[in-house]
Amino acid sequence: MAHSMSTRTVMVLLAPLCLLLLVFFLLPLGRVGWASIYDHGYTLRGYAEVVSGTLIHRVLGNTLHISVLATLTSLVLGYLIAMHLAGMPPRRRAPYLVMVMLPFWTSILVKSYAFTIVLGNSGLVNQLLGWVSGGAWHAEMLFNRMGVVLGMTNYLLPFMVLPIMASLVNQNRSLHLAAEIMGAGQWRIFSRITFPLSLPGVCAGVLMCLTLSMGMYITPALLGGRQDMMLANLIDFYTRQTLDWTLASSIAFVLLGVSALLIAMLIRVQRDQETTFA
Amino acid sequence: MKNHDSRWHNGGVSRRSILKAGVATAGLAALGVALPLRAQGRGISVTCWGGAYESAIRQAFAEPFAKETGVPVTLVNNADLTRMKVQVDSGNVSWDVFDSIGPQIMAGARQGLWAPIDTSIVDTGKLMQKTGKDHVGTYSYAGGIAFDPKKFPDGKHPTTFAELWDLKRFPGRRGLRSRASENLEMALLADGVPPDQLYPLDVDRAFKAMDRIKPAVRKWIETTPETVTLLTSNEIDFSYTYLSRVLPAQRAGSSVAMSMRQTLNSLEYLAVPKGGKNIQNAMRYVAFCLRADRQAAFCELVEFSPNVTGATDLISAEARQRMPDMNSPDAIVIDDAWWGDNYDKLQRRFTEWLLI
Repeated sequence: MAHSMSTRTVMVLLAPLCLLLLVFFLLPLGRVGWASIYDHGYTLRGYAEVVSGTLIHRVLGNTLHISVLATLTSLVLGYLIAMHLAGMPPRRRAPYLVMVMLPFWTSILVKSYAFTIVLGNSGLVNQLLGWVSGGAWHAEMLFNRMGVVLGMTNYLLPFMVLPIMASLVNQNRSLHLAAEIMGAGQWRIFSRITFPLSLPGVCAGVLMCLTLSMGMYITPALLGGRQDMMLANLIDFYTRQTLDWTLASSIAFVLLGVSALLIAMLIRVQRDQETTFA
Repeated sequence: MKNHDSRWHNGGVSRRSILKAGVATAGLAALGVALPLRAQGRGISVTCWGGAYESAIRQAFAEPFAKETGVPVTLVNNADLTRMKVQVDSGNVSWDVFDSIGPQIMAGARQGLWAPIDTSIVDTGKLMQKTGKDHVGTYSYAGGIAFDPKKFPDGKHPTTFAELWDLKRFPGRRGLRSRASENLEMALLADGVPPDQLYPLDVDRAFKAMDRIKPAVRKWIETTPETVTLLTSNEIDFSYTYLSRVLPAQRAGSSVAMSMRQTLNSLEYLAVPKGGKNIQNAMRYVAFCLRADRQAAFCELVEFSPNVTGATDLISAEARQRMPDMNSPDAIVIDDAWWGDNYDKLQRRFTEWLLI
């Protein structure tokens, strides 16, 4: 069907979206780019500071570390949930899907406060640990990197579960049956058929989670320790506190560049995978 | 396959881009948003902080001003400096008076956002803390050491900043703000600098003193509400917070108290943005807010201290009791003008110090 559409039809259909993106995305983005090089005259001061500043380097390092960690945690947990959901009959799946979506509908601010109650020194988890061990066990889970990663994973899970589940549900069951008839074990079926075929979903999930976590702002501020500052916090600081929009825009553009690079790499990997398995 | 692939590609990029743009343009988004707030007739609009603050402003300043001058006042909540700057830069100013804290007012002053205060209308002679040419300090709010009095009765909790720094006598998890201002002052006072010789801050000495308390600080707090909630949820033991947070929490039944023995007091300011359509009326409003009787009426309602001579005498004994004694050397006033010149540099150093 898609192949029979003429170029003209495609262009007409795409025009509204392109216009929307142009006005509400490309133009503002262009202004940010402009602000990063122009402040009463052309300047590269912002980029110079990004290149030379140890503060920005450290925070960029944090951002990458935390984003990758949170994405990997979401991938492992999300894949398990997605597999469980994909194996259910659609009717039973619906209420579970709602549960997956629940964190998605809750304000991230409220969730971050709630995590204080769950993960804190006198939080639910530590109370349970203390009760089980007679007061011997205790875990520092708040105001450190673990707190940030846990809080972000909670936020990211739906973005991981949904695409992976979609690619698992859409798999052709006869492939699995064929493998089973040929004598393949469960693990072999998973590693040779299920997992490779779910890679587009995995890639989509990882892309979204990485992207979202690179720009994360409230979670590291509320659940992180002093060493868990992320780039978005720094951009906010320069935008609102010091009104240094040149530097803020430069950092924003560097963040954009770094995420674009990461994502380009991922898409490359995905394409190689697809040609291997096609 | 090829087709499928490229669709993935495009889908990924545009979705990513939209999200990224959301972050990148967080502050600049205001550029595209037309502000529908138009000053109605000769009325003026004044920025505000909402909540109890807003109702006190309405009762003490906005409504009496409207009654006396016939100029209605609209209070605008959640105003921020970013949007103010956009208004002034674009020549489309819809807020006539900007009510904010020191760092914001000073950053605005450096950017040239404020019109000079018209001293023929505004009497700045009675101000206790003299302020700049393009802004006035209105009233101050006290910051100090808060604790749970049930867990830490008298003698068990620090009452001065030197005691807050004394980790041996007062062990416990501290909560401090994640910014340089106030922390560096506390560090120097804790290190023995006399209050009257505090400014200009000896920055190196302050950071050295900060090194001593660093291991005991569990959370460098980003948002003001947390300075009390982390205390009441027993995640920290001693917190630097504000009287205007502690007293309402007390009234709501939380076991929390603040030591008034040593306080850091920060001024709230009013400034009139350049290019406004009602600068004359805006100045009259500023003058009105600095009247001793109005200051007294305001400080009666919320936990602020007046910045105008004579106002304190008009306040009831009951309200005066909860205020810091501004004549005492232990009620230190933050020098926002000094911070205005040093904030960016020091906040940067502070953030780097935090990351190490």
